[in-house]
Amino acid sequence: MGLVARVIEAAGIPTVTLNMIWAYQNIVGMPRIAAIEHPFGRPYGDVGDAKTQRAVLEAALSVFETAQEPGHVEHLPFVWHESPKQTKWHPAEPSPIIALMQKRRS
Amino acid sequence: MSDAQPRTVDPWRFTGSFLEKMLSSRIPDSPAYDPIPWTPVTKPLSESKLALLSTAGLSMRGDRPFDMDFERKNPTRGDPSWRALLADARSETVEANHLHIDTSYIARDLNVALPLDRARELVAEGRLGALAQTHYSTMGFQGSDTTTQEQQSAPEIAARMISDEVDLALLAPV
Repeated sequence: MGLVARVIEAAGIPTVTLNMIWAYQNIVGMPRIAAIEHPFGRPYGDVGDAKTQRAVLEAALSVFETAQEPGHVEHLPFVWHESPKQTKWHPAEPSPIIALMQKRRS
Repeated sequence: MSDAQPRTVDPWRFTGSFLEKMLSSRIPDSPAYDPIPWTPVTKPLSESKLALLSTAGLSMRGDRPFDMDFERKNPTRGDPSWRALLADARSETVEANHLHIDTSYIARDLNVALPLDRARELVAEGRLGALAQTHYSTMGFQGSDTTTQEQQSAPEIAARMISDEVDLALLAPV
C-alpha cells in the first residue's frame, strides 16, 4: 500500500496513508502517515461505531493540512475499546503463507 | 475513545509476538527508501474532492472478485490487481476477499475499512468538498513480488483518479 501511495503522490495527487504498522515507513517511505493503533481489518473503528469512524476519518484528513514535509508521521490518539487479547482479527483459517511457515517448522 | 496526551502508536499491539518478530525483522533501523514523492496540498478540505482506497480486497458484487485461489496455490504471492468501487457501495453490494484478516466485520459495516458513509456526512456538512465518483481497492498481501502492483495497478489507479479530478487520496491498509 505504501508503494501505491508513492505512485499516486508522484502522479500529482496528495496522499495520506492511515497505517497500523507505520514502522514500515523505514522500508517504504510514504508521503504522509496517520498512524493508528487499531486492529487489522478495522482501521477506522468498529462495526456500527460511527462516532469513532468519523473521528478517525477527520483526524486522517487533518494530516493533509498539517504535514509540511515528505515522510511526516502523525500519531493519532485513538485507543481501541478492547484489549489485544479480546480483539479478534485473525481469519478463521491461517493464511497460506502462515500455514506454509507452520508446516516448515513442524 | 481518545486521550489528549501525545502518544506514539505501538505498531505491534495487535500482531502477536510471532507476527511481530516476522515483520519487524525486515524493518531497518534507519530509512532505506528512495526520495519520497511529494505533491503539496493547494486547496482547503472544504473545496477538495476525496477518493478512498482500501487494501481489503474489496470488489463490487458482480465484478470479478480478487483471486484467492491464486494465493492458495502460491502462498508467497497475492493478487496484484485492483478494483473500482462505486461511491454508493455498501456492505450489501461489496465483497471482501483477503486471507489475512477476518473480513466478517467489513461484511457487516463497510465503514470499518472504507468509510464512505462518514465521508458523505462530512460533505453534507461542508467540511469536505466532494466525494469522488470512484473509490479503489487492492488486496494488501503481495508477499515476495510487488512489481505488478507498483508498476501496473498503482499507475492505473492514479490515472483514473486524475481523470476523475480527485484532489486528495486517503489510503488505508487493513
